[in-house]
Amino acid sequence: MKVMPLLGYALRGLARRKAKATVLILGLASGVALLAAVLFMTDALRAQADRLRVAMPDIVVQKLVAGRPSTLPRAFTSKIEPIPAVRAVRPRVWGYLFLPALQGNVTVVGVPAGVRPLQQVQGTLGQGRDLVPGAHEMVAGATLAQALGLLEGDTLGLPSLGGTAVPLTFVGAFSSSVDLYTADVVLCDEADARVLLGMGPDEATDFAVELTNPAESSVIAQTIAEGTPGLRVLEREPMARIHSLTYGRRSGLFFVGAIPAILALLLLMSDRASGLSREERREVSVLKAIGWSTEEVLYTKVFEAALTGSIATALGLFVAYGWVFWLGAIGLRATLAGWSSVYPDLALVPAVDPAQLLAIAGAVLLPYVGLCVVPSWRAAAADPVAVMRGE
Amino acid sequence: MEPRATRARAFRARPVTIALAVLALPLVVAGLSMDAHFRRARAERAQPVTDAVAVRLPSPDMALFGGARWLRAPTLEEPGAAFADGPGAVDPDPAGGLVAPPKAIWAQVKGAR
Repeated sequence: MKVMPLLGYALRGLARRKAKATVLILGLASGVALLAAVLFMTDALRAQADRLRVAMPDIVVQKLVAGRPSTLPRAFTSKIEPIPAVRAVRPRVWGYLFLPALQGNVTVVGVPAGVRPLQQVQGTLGQGRDLVPGAHEMVAGATLAQALGLLEGDTLGLPSLGGTAVPLTFVGAFSSSVDLYTADVVLCDEADARVLLGMGPDEATDFAVELTNPAESSVIAQTIAEGTPGLRVLEREPMARIHSLTYGRRSGLFFVGAIPAILALLLLMSDRASGLSREERREVSVLKAIGWSTEEVLYTKVFEAALTGSIATALGLFVAYGWVFWLGAIGLRATLAGWSSVYPDLALVPAVDPAQLLAIAGAVLLPYVGLCVVPSWRAAAADPVAVMRGE
Repeated sequence: MEPRATRARAFRARPVTIALAVLALPLVVAGLSMDAHFRRARAERAQPVTDAVAVRLPSPDMALFGGARWLRAPTLEEPGAAFADGPGAVDPDPAGGLVAPPKAIWAQVKGAR
């Protein structure tokens, strides 16, 4: 059996039924694009969170009051520091502040004294410089600075409890490369953050605990939780699972919404499965009458389906990839990535690999081609004279 | 107008056309994989920048949830206060998705008890 002539005939067959082939390819490609885009974006979001997670503290300790996170007395550090394998306990001051101008929250983070200046690593700041402790200065996310129309040297009076906060001078903005993490962040001196967030000098939002051996984190976490009731202890590794669950839920929600599209895809597939059209059956019988073998006819029909499916899958994958990573997932990001007031540019890094692409292609292509085998075989095995007579 | 049969005959499936149709999927898979690879490599080169910023941020969460306080930092907030801002409100983050619940952890916790 010569494959190339049969492939050529299959292509000519598709060209003869151009309208049907186009509708099939576009329908299948739309379904593939929708499903692949959700998978690409969910994976990219998880990978994006992982990139930051590696630099996070091994353990985060919070205090719960009436089931809700509350501030911690700094003195609690003395209960954690003596635990063997604890290298450092760092009280952190951060929280959320509602900005009426944006009708949304910003994340205020207090920078403790002695932290390495941001400008030491080239590329962290898109403009300006890092803040100087005690000078009532702030560094903001690029998106936030743009939303508030801040220019270097501008002062911003943020709302605070009793209006006691000193206006902060905007001295720099994070680079757009880290905007996905910093879009809504206001970085300021720890003392300023306390005033803005209404926290006392002996309070901390949570503790960041660094360990000498991160592999022992679950044991240390248990020791901390048992030693001081009312604390919530979060380990770094389970954070990945929380991201997986969060984005998994969102992609699940989207898939529910996409059920009509998936049903349309199944309809297209069932169209192939239900049998060949009258015109196609006549074509098969003519081929048989002029001497084609059943095997050759069957292969031609399978090649037609494989070509349709592979072109549609290729188109669907290309559209999905372009949609998510070149066009910023327009129309999809609000569903999958959340509803922010201060929204960063969604420049996601693809987590796609050839195995995943081939798995998607296989999941679409194999059933599609498989479904056309039986009707094609029936048509190929039928008596050509009977088919041509319309029996 | 050109008769249909003539138009059909006019379509000649040349080897190049056949090769393009057959190789469309492998070419797209290879092309997208390469683009993804280069973008990941660029992101890895920028990792020191991410690390420098990370030490100043409270959580590894992205700034995608500012409109909902309990979701801005789900790794720190959602485990214990999923609906703290709207008890009884319509669930904005409904359950059910592609990723299964962490049954291994549940078993581990059960075992520890």
